[in-house]
Amino acid sequence: MIGDLQEFYLLSWRGLLSLIRKPFYFKDMIEQMDYAGTGSFVIVLLVSLFIGMALSLQLSAELSGLGLKMYIGKIVGVSIIREIGPVMTALVFAGRVGSGMASELGSMILGHQVDTLRVFGVDPVKKLVTPRVLSSLIMLPALTIVGDAVSILGGYYIAVFVSLQSSTFYWSSIQGVLNVENVLSGSIKPFIFGYLIACISCYMGLSTKGGALGLRRATTRAVVASFIMIIVADFILTRILLYVLGFSV
Amino acid sequence: MIEFEHVRFSYGAREVLRDVSFSIDFQETVAILGGSGDGKTTILKLILGLLRPDFGRIRIDGEDISSKAEDDLREIRMKFSIVFQEGALFDSLNVKENVAFALREYRSLSEEEIDQKVRALLKRVDLEDAMELTPEELSGGMHRRVAIMRSLAAIEPKMFLYDEPTTGLDPVNADIICKLILDLSKEGRGLIIVTHKIFDAFKLAHRYIFLKEGTILFDGRREKLIDSSIPEIQIFLSELNLKPKGPSSIDSGEKYV
Repeated sequence: MIGDLQEFYLLSWRGLLSLIRKPFYFKDMIEQMDYAGTGSFVIVLLVSLFIGMALSLQLSAELSGLGLKMYIGKIVGVSIIREIGPVMTALVFAGRVGSGMASELGSMILGHQVDTLRVFGVDPVKKLVTPRVLSSLIMLPALTIVGDAVSILGGYYIAVFVSLQSSTFYWSSIQGVLNVENVLSGSIKPFIFGYLIACISCYMGLSTKGGALGLRRATTRAVVASFIMIIVADFILTRILLYVLGFSV
Repeated sequence: MIEFEHVRFSYGAREVLRDVSFSIDFQETVAILGGSGDGKTTILKLILGLLRPDFGRIRIDGEDISSKAEDDLREIRMKFSIVFQEGALFDSLNVKENVAFALREYRSLSEEEIDQKVRALLKRVDLEDAMELTPEELSGGMHRRVAIMRSLAAIEPKMFLYDEPTTGLDPVNADIICKLILDLSKEGRGLIIVTHKIFDAFKLAHRYIFLKEGTILFDGRREKLIDSSIPEIQIFLSELNLKPKGPSSIDSGEKYV
C-alpha cells in the first residue's frame, strides 16, 4: 500500500516535471488534447445543459413558495460557477477520458508496447503520462468554462420561459456573481481535478497486471479513485478557497 | 556474453525463477523451452533490464546490470533486438511510423532518409505496399514481420531475442517467420527464442534450455534433448513424434522417427 502510494507520487511528480524537460512529444500532446477536449465536448454540453435546467427548476419550485424567485439567477450562477460546474465536468471527464487513459495504457502494458518503448530508450512517463497530464490541465478548465456557460443558459431557459422571470433580471444576477472571487474559486478547481484524473488514470493503467480481468480492474479503479478524489479534493479546495478569498462561513 | 548467476525473480508472492544460472554467447542460437508461466519471457525481460532480479546477478559483456539505473541501460539494450509476443506494434501508428519509430528516436535523419530506410526494410519482408496500413489491418504474420523489421531499423544488434514469434500463426506464416529469423541470424549474430513449440525450436536453435516452474531442467544440445528421460521434455518431444507419448502409445504400435 505504502509502496503503491510512493509509486503514485513519483509518477505524478515526474509527469509534471517532464512538462519542462526535453524531449517534448508535441504530436502526442495534440492527439491527447483532441481526444480529451473535442471528444468530450458534446457530452459536457448535454450534461451541463440539463444540470442547469434541473437546478433552475428545483430552485424555482422551492423559492416561489417563499416569494424569492428573483434569486434564481444568483443561486444558479454561484452554485454552477463555484461548485457544480467544475465538479460535474470533472466527473464526466474522469468517466470518459480517465477510463480511456487507464484502459489504453493498460492494454499497452499487456501488449508489451510500454516495454518496447523502454527498449527503444523512450521514457514511458515522458511519452505517455506527460501528454495526458498536459491535455487534462488544458482541456478540463476549457470544458468547465463551456459547461458553466451552457448550464447558466439552461437555467436561463427555465427561469425565463417556465418560471416567467424577467430575462434582464436573470442576466443582471448572473453578471453580479461573475466577480473575481467566484470566478477564481471556480477556475482553480478544474486544474487540480484535471491533474488528479490524469495521474490516477495513468498510474492505474501502467500498473495493469493479469490480462483482460486486470484491465477491467485497472479501468474501474481509475474511475472510482478519480471520482472519490474529485469529491474529496473539492471539499478541501472549497474550504481553502473560501478562507483565502475572504468568504465568511 | 549473457551470464545469469543464481537469479531469482518473483511477481508478488509467485516465484517465477528459482536459482537460475546459465551463460550464453552472443553467437549462440538458443531456444528457451517450457510451458506457460514457467519464466521464459521473464528471462528475456531480465536480459534487457526491463525487470530486476530479486536475487543473483545478471552480466552482459561482463557488466552487472542487476541494479543499473534505467538511463544507464540504454547502451546494454542496444546490443539486442527484441520482438515481443504478437509483435507489440504501436496501435496508434501505421506500419511506416512503427518502423520509423526507433529511427526518429535514435538518429537525426531527414524525412526522405527515413522513408528510404523504412521502404528498404519493408521490402525485405514483402510489405512495401503495407506502409500506410494500421496494425489492426495486418494479419498475424504481417504483424510479426513488421515487428522484426522495426527492431532492426535503428540498431545493429549483437543478438536477437524473440518471444514466441510463431505463436498463433498458421503453419505457412510460421514457416515464413522462421525463415526470416534464420536469414537474419546468418549474419553472424546469435538468437534466443522463447517458445513452447519444439518444432520451431529445432529449426532455429542449436542449444536448448528447458524450464519447469522456474528451474532449469535441461541445458544442452539436440541429441541430448532427444535422449532425455525427463517426463516433461518427453511430453514436449511428442509433438515431433520423436518419442512415444507415453506407455500406452508404445502398446498402440507408434513408431520412433
